[in-house]
Amino acid sequence: MQFSYEVKDSYAEVKSVGRLNMVAAPKLREVVAEVVAGGSSRVVVNLAGTDFMDSSGLGALIGCLKAARQAGGDLRIAEVQPQVKMVLELTNMDRVLTAYPTAEDAFGDD
Amino acid sequence: MTDVVARRGFHGPSNDQAIDAIHDELDSLWEDASFVPDMDRMTFATAVIEAAANIVQHALPVAEKPVEIDVDISVRPTRLIARVSAHNAREPFADDMQASMPDSEAESGRGLALIEALVTTVTFERQDGTNTWILTRET
Repeated sequence: MQFSYEVKDSYAEVKSVGRLNMVAAPKLREVVAEVVAGGSSRVVVNLAGTDFMDSSGLGALIGCLKAARQAGGDLRIAEVQPQVKMVLELTNMDRVLTAYPTAEDAFGDD
Repeated sequence: MTDVVARRGFHGPSNDQAIDAIHDELDSLWEDASFVPDMDRMTFATAVIEAAANIVQHALPVAEKPVEIDVDISVRPTRLIARVSAHNAREPFADDMQASMPDSEAESGRGLALIEALVTTVTFERQDGTNTWILTRET
């Protein structure tokens, strides 16, 4: 599992590549905490390279969403793959973590 | 069993490495069972990983011997079956067996509810210090 991030003009994009499971979940929390602490509270997690997420990975996304909102921003997800979409729908979290087609779209209307 | 089309297994210490190793076994399983539809692969693999992660995160040893995880996954013509076991483990706490979906703010506690949504049957057995989840999905 690999995470990288890039701070753009109006948001920071975090790229998640690999399985977002209980092993990777704490690392995602660390990366997003670093991004938010660095002053970027509008965060897009790009999940194009994540073909698997379990409930621990979902829990980490929810924790990251709360961290971003506490800092006055928001966290959105983009390029969601079929398994991740399924987990979001079965847990009813697709209403809280809105999926956007691309990272650029995620804050495009703000 | 003559009707087993493909089979994979894992046995080792209950830790982070076990989760990735079990996932690799699941990925390779489909090479021998290409007829299983993508949706069934996806749901079943997610349930197996959730059960294994539940053991790694929550199972406590019954004595000095550490908890070991054992997974036996088989593909049959119309059914996927996984036995996910924790050896040398205490009986799970009731809180860890919570099967209802928590509210949207919660950062944990969705695993068992998710397993129930993903497979056809979920059975839990405890015998001689071993907790076993038996997950089946009709294909």
